[in-house]
Amino acid sequence: MASSGNKNINAKLVLLGDVATGKSSLVLRFVKGQFVEFQESTIGAAFFSQTVAVNDATVKFEIWDTAGQERYHSLAPMYYRGAAAAIIVYDITNQASFDRAKKWVQELQAQGNPNMVMALAGNKSDLLDARKVAAEEAQTYAQENGLFFMETSAKTATNVNDVFYEIAKRLPRLQQAPNPSGMVLVDRPADRATGASCCS
Amino acid sequence: MYGGGSGTHQSKREMSLEYQAQISILRPSIRARRANMTVKFQDVHGFTVEGNVDDVNVLNEVREKLRQQCRVWWALEANKGVNWYLETHVSSTLKSSLKFSALVNAITLKRLIKKGIPLNFRPKVWFSLSGAAKKKSTVPDSYYNDMTSAVFDMVTPATKQIDQDLPRTFPGHPWLDTSDGHSALRRVLVAYSFRDSDVGYCQGLNYVAALLLLVMKTEEDAFWMLAVLLENVLFNDCYTYNLSGCHVDQRVFRDLLAKKCPRIATHLEGIDFDVSLVCTEWFLCLFSKSLPSETTLRVWDILFYEGANVLFNVALAIFKMNEEELLVTHQVGDVINVIQKTTHHLFDPDELLTVAFDKIGFTTTTTISKQRKKQEPAVMAELDQRLRRLNSLHENGDEN
Repeated sequence: MASSGNKNINAKLVLLGDVATGKSSLVLRFVKGQFVEFQESTIGAAFFSQTVAVNDATVKFEIWDTAGQERYHSLAPMYYRGAAAAIIVYDITNQASFDRAKKWVQELQAQGNPNMVMALAGNKSDLLDARKVAAEEAQTYAQENGLFFMETSAKTATNVNDVFYEIAKRLPRLQQAPNPSGMVLVDRPADRATGASCCS
Repeated sequence: MYGGGSGTHQSKREMSLEYQAQISILRPSIRARRANMTVKFQDVHGFTVEGNVDDVNVLNEVREKLRQQCRVWWALEANKGVNWYLETHVSSTLKSSLKFSALVNAITLKRLIKKGIPLNFRPKVWFSLSGAAKKKSTVPDSYYNDMTSAVFDMVTPATKQIDQDLPRTFPGHPWLDTSDGHSALRRVLVAYSFRDSDVGYCQGLNYVAALLLLVMKTEEDAFWMLAVLLENVLFNDCYTYNLSGCHVDQRVFRDLLAKKCPRIATHLEGIDFDVSLVCTEWFLCLFSKSLPSETTLRVWDILFYEGANVLFNVALAIFKMNEEELLVTHQVGDVINVIQKTTHHLFDPDELLTVAFDKIGFTTTTTISKQRKKQEPAVMAELDQRLRRLNSLHENGDEN
């Protein structure tokens, strides 16, 4: 790995969405490249991590995959607190899950980290025949609310990695870096430029 | 399966069957030793587990201990009578009528339960000691059957959620993941959702009820165990519509950890790790999703006898066992890895239970109850505030 100029960023990411929309399946696909027809229901939340390289930086996602059932929503702040990114998931064959997704967006906009990168994922895009939510509707909603939107399929792997990579690209990187070991803030030039040579 | 038979011949036959079972488990592990890799095998309750040679050996030792315990229980039955363990209610009777034999039985029982209730004794011992038998005896015999036939074709939010979760409950288990297993689990959960409308159905109970079915063998007994668990053994607000009890438990646990394991608590706080991140699932699934099955059931042996404080002690033990490793973690992911590596490989229940009940000062249910009372107002205020904030958000959102 190139040692000069590289940045290693840890980014907390949370998945939110209605029950059985495929949150865990998206994570399993992204982290392990696997898919199972019946994924164990998540209780509380499950933790995963995966590192991706974007340009000259690596982003280590610390992923919190949360439980979907309504009563678990009261636990959600614990998982989205301090998160750099969120994927809000709905099931394209289920209108109610899209409505629920909008509520999550509202909640994150009001309570979450203001710089949070938010993605809206319309999952189960392989089930076209059963579609209930039009892609255009979701796209419009996403644009109006400053999210980026993709239809995904954890089953066929369509767009799954893309969502995570797109998030990685959009992270306001240097603000998020929690690693104190010799990080140089490149966009803060004059004051301590000469002394800070650890990355060269 | 583990009971010594009534005659020597039978027990020998069972021993040889057991022995064969061990060989079939050991065979891949010998190869594994050479390759130094993990193997997949089925544990005593039919769950597929992954482990290395050491894990397999530990599991075999656990089986051997179970067999020994079984002989002890048989001998006690022969000496003291079939239901000897029910004659232990020293605390519920008047002191003056306290019988010496009851006291002896109580001490024996407590000690035996810590060592584990053998598989074939578990259904009846759990059923009696937990209070499920008593609960069942207060209603007509046909209660469960009437209930299941009255509600089987009704559709509610709870039943919809239950139906979604049936194939997602321990997928791949040789019985639970069959149509028979799904139907039995459905009937138990649906019947309970109608019995207790405050709880209805809460995700997590699917795992709990599934394990109860595996242990109790009959659906009806599993149903009563679920009922006594939610209504008497655990604190009764744990699974309600906003999980308020779960929030309370997490606060109580955080304080307890700070008191019993101050170094760990301080370190985790320093790296901004909220212990609820891992504990929530433990408390809601009663460890069934985290610990190996027999280890979980050993925790439940004590849970049904002593009460909800057991969950706190076991959770503390998991942290305590990893003290040194936890103190050098820097990131959330490291903490989770340390904890999960331990929980998934705790094939020896005694390793966990010794720490939980001998090394950490015992915490009683009364202490926990008191602490819960203290935390309740803050939790209620927090949940209420969240709800009001969200409602106003949604109202504004709808207007726009």
